[in-house]
Amino acid sequence: MWLEFPLFASIAIACWLAASGLFFTSGKKVMNQLAAVLSLAGTIVLLIFVVILWVEIKRPPMRTLGETRLLYAVFLSGIGLVSYLRWKYKWLVSYSLGLAILFLIVNLQHPETYDKTLMPALQSPWFIPHVIVYIFAYAMLGASSVVALRNLFFVPTEKSIKGPIQMADNLVYLGFSFLTFGLLFGALWAKEAWGHYWTWDPKETWAFITWMFYLVYIHYRYRHPLEHKKAMGVLAMAFLVLLICWFGVNYLPSAQNSVHVYSE
Amino acid sequence: MSFLYLHLQISQHMTNENKRKTWTQPWSYREGTIITAAILLLGFMVQAVSNGVILRFAAFPWNLLAGLLFVAVLATIFVIWQKHAVMKWLGGVKAALPAILGFTLLVLLMGFVKQDVEPQSAFSRLLGLTHLVHTWPFILINVYLLILLGIVTLKRLTPFNLKNVGFFLNHFGLFLVLFSTALGSSDMKRLSMNCYEQQTERQAFDESGNAVESPFAVQLIKFNIDEFRPKVAVIDNQSGQVIEDGGKAQYEILDRNSFDLLNFHVEAEQFLETSGKVGDNYFAVNEPGSAPSAKVKVTDRESKKEVSGWICSGSYAHQPEALKLNDQYSLVMFLAEPRKFSSKLNIQAKSGKNVATTIEVNRPFKIDGWTIYQLGYNKEMGRWSNLSVLELVRDPWLPIVYFGIFLMMGGAAFLFVTGKPKNGGTEHVA
Repeated sequence: MWLEFPLFASIAIACWLAASGLFFTSGKKVMNQLAAVLSLAGTIVLLIFVVILWVEIKRPPMRTLGETRLLYAVFLSGIGLVSYLRWKYKWLVSYSLGLAILFLIVNLQHPETYDKTLMPALQSPWFIPHVIVYIFAYAMLGASSVVALRNLFFVPTEKSIKGPIQMADNLVYLGFSFLTFGLLFGALWAKEAWGHYWTWDPKETWAFITWMFYLVYIHYRYRHPLEHKKAMGVLAMAFLVLLICWFGVNYLPSAQNSVHVYSE
Repeated sequence: MSFLYLHLQISQHMTNENKRKTWTQPWSYREGTIITAAILLLGFMVQAVSNGVILRFAAFPWNLLAGLLFVAVLATIFVIWQKHAVMKWLGGVKAALPAILGFTLLVLLMGFVKQDVEPQSAFSRLLGLTHLVHTWPFILINVYLLILLGIVTLKRLTPFNLKNVGFFLNHFGLFLVLFSTALGSSDMKRLSMNCYEQQTERQAFDESGNAVESPFAVQLIKFNIDEFRPKVAVIDNQSGQVIEDGGKAQYEILDRNSFDLLNFHVEAEQFLETSGKVGDNYFAVNEPGSAPSAKVKVTDRESKKEVSGWICSGSYAHQPEALKLNDQYSLVMFLAEPRKFSSKLNIQAKSGKNVATTIEVNRPFKIDGWTIYQLGYNKEMGRWSNLSVLELVRDPWLPIVYFGIFLMMGGAAFLFVTGKPKNGGTEHVA
C-alpha cells in the first residue's frame, strides 16, 4: 500500500498548495470557500489512504514514526480548516497546511519498510484512543506554537494581539485537555498491560515534562494576561519539549528498551 | 537551561517588584524560587548525608495514618490562617510556578539519566540520580506540591461556587493522584511466578528476587503462543549484516506469495509453520523445537538469475538455514515474533476459592485483591515454551488513584469545553 503513497500524497499536497495560494491571493468570499473545499479534499484523500492502509496491514497505522507523521498531517490539516471555519484565520490554515505538507514530504523522502507485527502489549482497545488523542493534542499544540512564533516575530501591537493570543489560548486549552486525556488513558492502559499505571518509562517521563510546560503556560497566562511576549516564549519552548518527547526520546541513552520507542 | 531561562523571565517580572525587599509582603516569584530551590538543595543534602540510601514509605497502617495526619494538619492550618498573606501566597500562581518548575527540573534529570540501573559514578550514587523517585529531593518537592495543591483546593472550595468545578476537579484530582501514589507505593506488592506446564507452583519471587510463598497455588494447564509469520531479509555473506536501504535494514514479512526485497523478487512456493528437515527438504511436523520454513524462488531483478531452495528460521533445537543468492548475498529467515500468548490456569486461593481461567497480555485476572498478569515465557524456546511467567500485583490504594484520575479526566473535559483565561486573557486580573 505504501507503494501508492506518492500518488495520494501528491494529490493532497497539490490540493493544499492550491488552497493556500487561493487563501493568500484572493479576498473574494467564493475563492475562500473554494480554498476551504480544496483543503478539505486534500485531507480526505489522505484519510482514504489511512483507512486503506489500516485495512491492508491489519492493524492501526500508529506504530512507526512514518505512520505517526502521516496521521499528524491528516489531523493538522483538519485542525487548520476547522480553526479557519471557526475563527477565520487564513494565515493559520496556511501554516498548518504548510506543516502538513512538510510532514508528507519527509515521508516521501524516507520511505520506511512498514512493519506489520505489533507486539502483544500494544494489542489493546486502549491503543487507538491513546494514540489518536495524543496525535490530536500534538497537532493542536503544534498549531499553537505556530501562533506563538508568529506573535513573537511579527511584533503585533497591544490592540492587534488580542485575537491571536486568544487563538493561542484556545488551541492550548484544547490541546492540553487532549494531552491530559492521552496521559491518563496511557496510565489506565499500562495498569492493564504491565501491572502499574506509571513506571517513569523515558517516554512517560518526557510526556510528563511536556505536560508540565503547558501547565506553566496556562498558569502564567492566567496570572499575567498582559505579559504576551513572555507567555509566547514559554509556549514556543513547550513545543520544543514536545518535539523532544515525540522524536528525541528515541535517541536518548536513557530510553533504551522503552516500549514507546517507535520502530523505524 | 530552559528552566533557568524561565526563572529569569519570571523573577524579573515587574519593576516595582524589583525594589521590594525579599520576605516583605506581598511575596512573589522570588520567595517561591528561593523556597523551591531550598527544598531541592536540602533534599539533595539529606540524600548525600544519608549515603545514597533509597527511600521507601512506611507500609500500612503508618502510611494511612501519616496521610490522614497530613490532611488534618493542612486543613487546620488553613482554617486558622486563611486570611494570612502567606496563606494567600501559598494558594497562588506565584508559589505554584516555581514549585512546578522545580519538580520539572527533577523530572528532566530523570529524562536524561537512565533510571533504575546501578549508578555509574560515585556522584550519581551519592545523590541517588539513578533512583530519583526514591530520593529525598523528589519526596520533599512532592510534599511541597501537595501542600500547595491542598491549600489552593481549600481556598477555592470556601465559599463553594459552581464556577469553580473545573478548577476543583483539576487541582484536587492531581492532589489525590500524587497523594495516593506516594502513600500507596509501599503497600504495592509485585511478585512473579515461574509456572511450568502440568505442574502446580506455590513459590513466588519478590522484587528483589527472594523466594516467598505465593498467595495462590497455580497450575499451568497449557501455555499457548500465536506467532506472526516470520520476517525475511537479505544479508551480506561476509559480515552477516542485514542489508540496508536508505539507512534502514530492509525486512519483509512472509505473509504473501510474492514480493520485492531490495533488488530481488521473492516468491514463496511453500510455507510450513512448524517443520523438520529430512534430507534436503522440509516437511510439516509438530514436535517440540520444530521451526518455520519456506521454499522460495528468488530472482535477481537485474540479471534475471534465479535461485530456489529452502530457508528456515531455526530454533533452540534446530539449525537455521539460509539460501545463498550469489557470492555476495544470502536470504535468511528470522525467528517468528509473538502475536499473542496466553496461559490456561487453575488458581487456588488461600481463601478457598478455586478458579480456572485463561490470562493473556492486556487481559489480567483479578482475584482476592490481587491481579494476575501474563508476563513472559521462555523466549529461547518460543512457541514450544513450557514455561509461563506470571506477575501478581496487589495495589490496595488503586481505587483512590483511579478516583483521582477520573476527577482529572472530568477536569480535562471542563478545559475542553470552557477553558480559557479570565476575561479573554487580555485584561489584568489580580
